Amino acid sequence: MNDEAKEFQTKPFRSSWMIWTNPIVRRYARSRLRFTGLGISVLLMTLVSAFVFFVARGGGVNFLNVKEDVARLPLIPLLIVQGIVLFGLGTGQVAGAMTSEAGEKQLDYQRLAPMKPLAKVLGYLFGLPVREWVLFLSSMPFTIISLVQGNVDPYYAIQLYAVFIVAGVLYHLTGLVTGTVMENRRWAFLSSMGIVFLLYTVIPQAAQFGLVYFKYLTIYPVVTDVMPHLAPRMIGRFAQQFQEIAPQAKFFGLDLEQFIVTLISQGVLCLTMIVMLWRHWCRAESHLLGKLGALGLFLWLQIVLLGNALPLIENGEIFTSREIEQRLNSHLGPVFHGWKPYIWEATLMVGFYGLVTLVFLWTMALIISPNQDTQLRGWRRARKLGDTSLPSLSDPSTSFIWVTLMSFVGVGGWYLFARGLIGSHWFSGNSLSSMTIVAMLLTLLSGGWALQAILETKGRKAAGLVAIFAGIVPAMVAVILIVSGDLMTQAVWIAGVCPALWPLFGAGAFIVDGGLPKEVASSIPPAFWVWQSIAFVVTVLLLVKLRKSRAKISKSSVNS
Amino acid sequence: MSEHAIEIRDLRVDYGEFVAVKDISLSIPFGQVYGLVGPNGAGKTSTFRVITTLMEPTYGEVKVAGFDISEHAQEAREVIGYMPDLAPVPSDLKLWEFLDFYAQAHRIGGRARRRERVEQCLDAVDLTEKRNDWAKALSRGQTQRLVLAKTLLHDPQVLILDEPASGLDPLSRRDLRLTLQGLANQGRAVFVSSHILTELAEMCSSMCVMNQGKILASGSVGEVRAALGGAERKINVITLGQPQILAQWLEDQPGVREVLAFEDQVSFQFTGSHEDQGVLLQNLVSRGFGIRSFEEGRSSFEDILVEIAGENRRS
Repeated sequence: MNDEAKEFQTKPFRSSWMIWTNPIVRRYARSRLRFTGLGISVLLMTLVSAFVFFVARGGGVNFLNVKEDVARLPLIPLLIVQGIVLFGLGTGQVAGAMTSEAGEKQLDYQRLAPMKPLAKVLGYLFGLPVREWVLFLSSMPFTIISLVQGNVDPYYAIQLYAVFIVAGVLYHLTGLVTGTVMENRRWAFLSSMGIVFLLYTVIPQAAQFGLVYFKYLTIYPVVTDVMPHLAPRMIGRFAQQFQEIAPQAKFFGLDLEQFIVTLISQGVLCLTMIVMLWRHWCRAESHLLGKLGALGLFLWLQIVLLGNALPLIENGEIFTSREIEQRLNSHLGPVFHGWKPYIWEATLMVGFYGLVTLVFLWTMALIISPNQDTQLRGWRRARKLGDTSLPSLSDPSTSFIWVTLMSFVGVGGWYLFARGLIGSHWFSGNSLSSMTIVAMLLTLLSGGWALQAILETKGRKAAGLVAIFAGIVPAMVAVILIVSGDLMTQAVWIAGVCPALWPLFGAGAFIVDGGLPKEVASSIPPAFWVWQSIAFVVTVLLLVKLRKSRAKISKSSVNS
Repeated sequence: MSEHAIEIRDLRVDYGEFVAVKDISLSIPFGQVYGLVGPNGAGKTSTFRVITTLMEPTYGEVKVAGFDISEHAQEAREVIGYMPDLAPVPSDLKLWEFLDFYAQAHRIGGRARRRERVEQCLDAVDLTEKRNDWAKALSRGQTQRLVLAKTLLHDPQVLILDEPASGLDPLSRRDLRLTLQGLANQGRAVFVSSHILTELAEMCSSMCVMNQGKILASGSVGEVRAALGGAERKINVITLGQPQILAQWLEDQPGVREVLAFEDQVSFQFTGSHEDQGVLLQNLVSRGFGIRSFEEGRSSFEDILVEIAGENRRS
C-alpha cells in the first residue's frame, strides 16, 4: 500500500452501536433529509399534528371543566398519528427500499464495504426510515405541551414512549426481514404494512384464547396500563376499570409490570430478527436462522406462552368469558353472578394453543429445511473435503432431527397447557384422555415431518400446492357443507383432512366431555383418529422418499 | 504480504445441477493486468463473485492477498476493489455524496481527508465537473467511470473489474487501459474480464480463457494463443502484380495453407512461429515479389472464441 493510501486509512471504526457515526445512517440521512422533501413532509406532519391538537383541545373545552383534562385530550389522537407514520409508513419504507436496493444490486456494494455485519443491520434499520423518525420527532412538541400542561406523571409518559419506540424498531426490523426475503418492492411494502396491521388487529386476538403473550407484541397493554394517567380524569377512571378487569402480566410466579413484559417480549423478537439479518449479511445464501437458533426460539415461545398463560388459570383471568362478564357487570351493574368458565371455551383454548404451536413449527421448518440445490452443494463440498456426512448444524443438512425435537418441545408445552387448564379447579368434572400425548405427538410429528419432507424433496412450490389442496380446499368444502344444511357430520369428516385443524380436532378428541355440540362431539374423535392414522402413514412414506432422495443426492455428488 | 494477489484452488460453483465453475485453479501475481476472457455464461462473473466474497463457492480455496476468504472475508474485503458488470449507482445521491458514503464505509477518516480523496478519484476518472450532478443523470459510460472511481477510492491492492470497458467510448477505453496499466505498474493486481478478446489483449500482460466453467488456457497472450491452437493466423498480402504466381509459390511453403488470390490480394493461413513469419516475408522480398503490404488479418484465435460461443449457444 502506498504512503498516500496509508494516510487515508487511519481512522479506527467506531462501535456498531454508535448509529450516528454509521455510514449507512449518514447516507440515508443525506438522501432522505434533503431540505425540499423533508420540509414538505415536516410541514404536513406539523399541520396534521396541530389540527389534531387544536381540535381535541377545542372540543374538550366544551365538556371538560378542568384545564389539565383539556390539555390531556390530544395525547391519544397524537399517538395514533405518530403510530401511522412510524409503524405504518416507516415499516413500508424499510421493506420497499430494502427490496429495491437488492434488486438494483446496491447491496453487493454494501456487502463489500468493510463494516461489521451488525453495523450494516443497524445502519439500514435506522437509516432507511430516518425521515419517519424525524416526522415522529416533529410531532413531539405537541405531545410534550399536552404532557406538561396536562400535568402527566413523567414516569407514565416515559413508559409509553419507551415501548412505542421499541415497537417502532420491532416493526422496522420486520420490514427489513420482509424486504430481504421478498423480491418485489411493491409487495414488500404492502406485505410489511399488512404484517403491522395484523399485529394490531388479528394477532392480539390470540389473547382471547389464552395466549396472552401475543398482545405484548403491540403497545396495547402499556397504553391500557398508562391510560388512567394520560387521559382526562373522567375517561381515566373508566379506563382504570378496564385495567382492573384485564389480566395482569405474569410470568410463572412473577408479577411484572406490563411495561417490562412488553419490552422483554418485543426485545427478544428484535434480537431474533437482528440475528436473521446478521446471518444474511454474513452470507447471503444462509438460512435466516440456524438449526440450533430455530430450536432455541421455538423453546422460548413455548416458555413465554406457558409463563404468561398458566398463572392466569387459577384466578380465571385467562378466560375471555370472565372479562366479558365483568365488563358487562361494570356497565350494567351486577347482572351476572357466579361466573364459571365454559368447558367448550377451554377446549377451544387448548386447540388454539396446539394450532399456534403447529404453525410455529411449520415456520421453523420452512426456515431451516434445505432445498435440493442446497443439499447437493453441501454434499459436493463434503465429498471434496473427504467427509462422508453433512455437519448436522449446517444449512445443507436435513432438518429432520430438529423438527422432531421441536415437535417434542411443542408436545411438552401443549400438554402442560392442556393439563393446567383442564386439570384446574374450574373443570373438576372433565379430564384429559389417556391418549392425549399420543394425539399431540401424532399431530405435531405428522404435520412437521410431512412439511419438512416435502420441502427437502420437492421444494417450497410443492409445499404451497399441498397447503392449498390439503389445507384450504377441504376447509372450504366443509364450510359449504355446513351452510348447505344438515351435513355437519360430513363437514367435520372433510375438515379433518386440513392439517391446520388437527390441533382443534385433537383437543376435541382428547378432552373428555369437551362441551362441543353433540353432533360435532360425536364425529370429531373418529375423524381425528382416522385422518391422523392416514396422515401418519403418508408421512412415513414421505420420509422414506426423503431418505431415498438424500441417498440419491449423496451418491450423485461423488463424481459430479 | 503474499506473493500472489489472487490464488484459486479447485474452485467450483453450482447453481443446482448447473455447474457454473468447475474445479478451476489460478494464480495472479501483483503488478499485472490479468485478463479473464470467455463468452457469456463462461463462469467469469461467478468466479468474480466468489473472489469478492459475494458468493460462497460449492467448494474450493480462494486467497486474496494471502487472506483465505472463507476465514478472513473482512480482511480480504479491505484489499479488494470490485467493479461489477452493469454497475448500479443510487438515484438519490450526487456524485460526491456517493463517493463520500463509501469513503466513510472504508474508514477514510476525517472530513477533509475524505473530501480530498473523493476529489482525487473524481479527477482520476474525469468527472470533477460533475461532482454536484445526480448520479442517475449520468450516461452509461460516465456511470462506469463513477463506479471505477468508487472502486479506486480506498486504494485497493487487488482490483477486480467485470466488463469495465462496456459502454465506454474509444477515448475512455484508452484512458481506462492507461489507468489500469498505471495501477499495475504501481504494484497492484488488476483482474479484468471481458468477452471481447481484442479489448483485453490491448491491456493485459497475462490472461486466461474460460468456457463452460473450465479454464481452457492461461498464460501470456501468446501462450494462450498457442495453447488453443490459435498459432494459426490469417495473413493478407497486397501485391504490386501477379497475385496468382505469388499464390502458387506460397502453397509450397511450410506452415502455409488455404491460399486464396483475388484482385491484387493474396490471403492465407499461417501456422509457423513469428520468426518463421519473418523468414517468409524476407523470402517473398528476396524472390522479387512486389509487396505493397504484408499484415496479419483478424486473429484466428478470435475465431476460436467466436466458435466456442457459437457451440455454447447450439448446445
